[in-house]
Amino acid sequence: MLLFIAILDTFKLLLKTLSTNSGFWNPLVWCSVIVIAFLIVYSIRSFGNKEYKKDNEQVKTFLSGNPEYEKEQMHVKSSNVYWGFTETLKWVYNLLNKMHTGNVSDYVLWFVVTMAIFFILIGVMI
Amino acid sequence: MEQYIIDLLTTGAIVLFGTIGLALFGIFFGLLYKGVDRKLSAHMQGRIGPPIRQPFRDVSKLFVKENIIPENAIPWIFNLAPLAGLIATISILLYIPIGGFEPLLSSKGDLILILYLLIIPSLAMVTGGFSSGSPYATVGAQREMVTMIAYEFPLAIIIIAIAWKLSINLQNTNVFALSTITATPIWNFVGPLGFLGCLVLLFVLVVVTPAELSKIPFDSPEAETELAGGLLAEYSGRNLAMFYLTDGVKTVVMASIIVALFFPFNIWRMIGLDALPAISLEAIPIYTAEIIFFLIKVLLVILFSLTLIRVSVARLKIDQIVYTYWVPLTLLALVGLICIMWDGWTMEGHIINIFGFKIQWSAWPSMFKLLGIP
Amino acid sequence: MNLPTFEFTPALVVAIPLLGAFLTPLVSRINDKLRNIFVIIIMGLTGFFVFLLAYDVLAKGIKVYVFGANTADTIQSLENGLPLLRILFEVDAMSVLMAGISVILGFVAVIYSWSFMKENTGLDKYYTLFLLMIAGMLGMELTGDMFNFFVFLEITSIASCALIAFWTNKGKAVDAAFKYIVISAIGALFILFAVALLYSQYNALNIAVLGSMIQYTFLDKIALILLIVALLMKAGIVPMHMWLPDAYSRAPSSVTVALIGATLASLYGVLRVCFTLYGNSLSNICNNLNINVHSMLGTLLILLAIITIILGVIMALRQINFKRLIAFAAIAELGYMFLGIGTGLTVLGNPELAVYGMTALKGGIFHIINDALDVGLLFLVAGAIYYATRENSLNRMGGLARNLKYTTVFFLIGLLAVSGMPPMNGFASKILIYESTYQLSPILSIIAILCSILLLAVFVKVFYSAFMGPAQPKFKDVKEVPKSMLIAMGIITCIIIFIGLFPQFVINTVVTPAAEALVNFGGEKGFYINEIIESFTLGGV
Repeated sequence: MLLFIAILDTFKLLLKTLSTNSGFWNPLVWCSVIVIAFLIVYSIRSFGNKEYKKDNEQVKTFLSGNPEYEKEQMHVKSSNVYWGFTETLKWVYNLLNKMHTGNVSDYVLWFVVTMAIFFILIGVMI
Repeated sequence: MEQYIIDLLTTGAIVLFGTIGLALFGIFFGLLYKGVDRKLSAHMQGRIGPPIRQPFRDVSKLFVKENIIPENAIPWIFNLAPLAGLIATISILLYIPIGGFEPLLSSKGDLILILYLLIIPSLAMVTGGFSSGSPYATVGAQREMVTMIAYEFPLAIIIIAIAWKLSINLQNTNVFALSTITATPIWNFVGPLGFLGCLVLLFVLVVVTPAELSKIPFDSPEAETELAGGLLAEYSGRNLAMFYLTDGVKTVVMASIIVALFFPFNIWRMIGLDALPAISLEAIPIYTAEIIFFLIKVLLVILFSLTLIRVSVARLKIDQIVYTYWVPLTLLALVGLICIMWDGWTMEGHIINIFGFKIQWSAWPSMFKLLGIP
Repeated sequence: MNLPTFEFTPALVVAIPLLGAFLTPLVSRINDKLRNIFVIIIMGLTGFFVFLLAYDVLAKGIKVYVFGANTADTIQSLENGLPLLRILFEVDAMSVLMAGISVILGFVAVIYSWSFMKENTGLDKYYTLFLLMIAGMLGMELTGDMFNFFVFLEITSIASCALIAFWTNKGKAVDAAFKYIVISAIGALFILFAVALLYSQYNALNIAVLGSMIQYTFLDKIALILLIVALLMKAGIVPMHMWLPDAYSRAPSSVTVALIGATLASLYGVLRVCFTLYGNSLSNICNNLNINVHSMLGTLLILLAIITIILGVIMALRQINFKRLIAFAAIAELGYMFLGIGTGLTVLGNPELAVYGMTALKGGIFHIINDALDVGLLFLVAGAIYYATRENSLNRMGGLARNLKYTTVFFLIGLLAVSGMPPMNGFASKILIYESTYQLSPILSIIAILCSILLLAVFVKVFYSAFMGPAQPKFKDVKEVPKSMLIAMGIITCIIIFIGLFPQFVINTVVTPAAEALVNFGGEKGFYINEIIESFTLGGV
């Protein structure tokens, strides 16, 4: 019985809901929801047809009827991803690229600048 | 200790039956509302439109179609993504007040959790699109991700603004918990300026909704005309059906969240009851009325935030989407936030809030002195 | 549960890796395999003592260890009003938390190195330097003495500089190491200067003693600024972050993981300076503007944190070098920690501290653990990809999920954790930060939430470019990485998932004591300062 209580106490400690005084988060409850939902969704899915013809044109990538390119060209390059975002924030990136010179004397300059700001705000003003 | 075990078992039962019940509820009404939405938009455009049960037929048709896995795809991710999206969406249903009642798991998760869970269906679509190995799907998927970044800014402002307002008025309460938000509607605490701010935030949330659900004008990730279905280009059969269901359930979820945040009015409160009566034979009319009232509210939200916007405007380009959300709508949301904050200032009288950094009045004379103003 | 108290644990924690470092070249003479096992055992032993120390400290409170202690002498010198010129280790909950992080990272990195560094020569030097670096970090975190802090900082810097340049055949590594040593040397010099300023006024070097005596004179102000800015630079806060992507991305992955520990040790220095060294004086002093100094300092930290978060993610979004990208993401994560910590510092001593300040502080401290693990895991994955394909650029990768199945899963978990998706550990600490900072200013939480989504976008891009897409012919022969690397990644993944599933447990056992140790610096509750001074006067050392 004592052992049982000890186990239960540990259990209680582990199962506690995270509370931030403004909200909650209990991962274990969410995970159990997920497991049950998975079973439901998986059983719904298993009503569907699982077969498909593997040696057919249909497994080829759809390119509006054009022949497939070489494999390397079928992969959109990393630097082209998120075009819409970088395009909108082009001016920010230009600014940031100017800031990151890769020059160690600039690094030290930023250090001095920050120290000066701290000095003015904390050392002089207050 | 026995109490503890009983609590544990209760939570378990809620989780088990709640998930099953709400999953069926979400899927059924998701598809139903989809049908209504299609019918309404058809009428707005002067068409007859499909019958309301069309989405059910679509799903059953997709279930008999072949489930093709393209040779360039990574099969396990390709198959898992549609499942993950639907599962995560169903799990949100347990944290939001469905039918005007308290959320089933109101003390196990809050608004921030819902905000994050709402990302998962989109993330699943992105992952699925990326994993299909098709250039069309890749372009669509990265657009979806960019759209997500774009609308998350105003969305975060709305959520934090509401929580902040409640935290000012209700000290030491779990303001992010949806049970608090629905029990104490935001409209109770606002003055004229705050009312205006809330209206602005509501408008922004209505505009965020179509992007959250990838609907016109923010549907450039799917863009049938240019990307051939975008991130869903390679999906077919039951995998596509899963995405279809996800879309339906997510529509219900988004609409319910708007209802919970801005229209959490209950019939039992309106007719002057102190609390929702316990489940009994006499209480059935109230419960029925409550559920019907909720369903009508959801329908209205869907009508205004999806159908009306969808039929009246054309699709935006992806960089225009980012611009729309990050500049005009974010500014608008910030205006709403500031209105809500300054509302508190006029009421409290002695504190001025500049983005919440409270500066006591007593500090101002010395501040002026520093600037050389007598 | 009565574990025997080991009087010497604080000393052993630093002494074992230090001794191991000097024994490594000797063992290396015998056999390479033996040397690897030896180093793993040394790290394991250090870890064991750290956890023993942690148990001790969490159960019984602060632990003081005096090197070459002679109680009679100590009392004698105190009675005569002489300065405390002893090497002291003062270990509280915050120190052991940081030591635990360092030792876990070090242990994992050593296991990882087994296969990862196998093809390199000069491994005896590698392991020697590695253990030195770990010893330095642990010393920084356990010491109770400003000058010792400087010494250990220097040990860490020099060892890590040499390790960053370990792949000397790549010129860029040497370049990064040079930048690192310049930055470190300047930072360390300013710290030394600050220590001298304090010593010249108070005749003491012990943090607790200094903390109880500090008057917040003009010289103290200067010392405070020097210390904080130099340590912030060593921690990699924007705009002094530029060395960090260079160093993180050029070093071998196993070294990078340990470097995270070194960076966090500097962050720990900031915490000690703000909360313990100046904690007493900051909270008492009001200026003529009615703004407390700690509020001003906290606000400045919050501002820097916000800039750090935004700049980190925005830069990360554009990177195509895998490790550089993670390095920028790591900078953004640092911002989250400082956001929580800065919020805690801003309301230090105010009634608001009880309402949300503690939550923010806990969130910040909790995020230190989570960030170290998440970013560490991602760096290990980056190293694994490099090991398998010899590619660093995301533009030249693709379709690797077919070849590297386990690595893909590890990366997926790291991705979810670092971007704070439920149910991973990152979410638990970020929710603490969001749901507390909004009460100081809603805009803080808004930016934090937004940037966390951006962080997700950053790593989804990596996930796509590296692991998805059609099978590339050039990677046809790529095989899954060796077992030791998988084990290393697996250990971190297990810890991540454990923390993710039981966040409140971790907060209660580790994070809350650490936050309380920081906040109760003196005064009535007198934790750090009083405890130590008492232990001297009673001769209870």
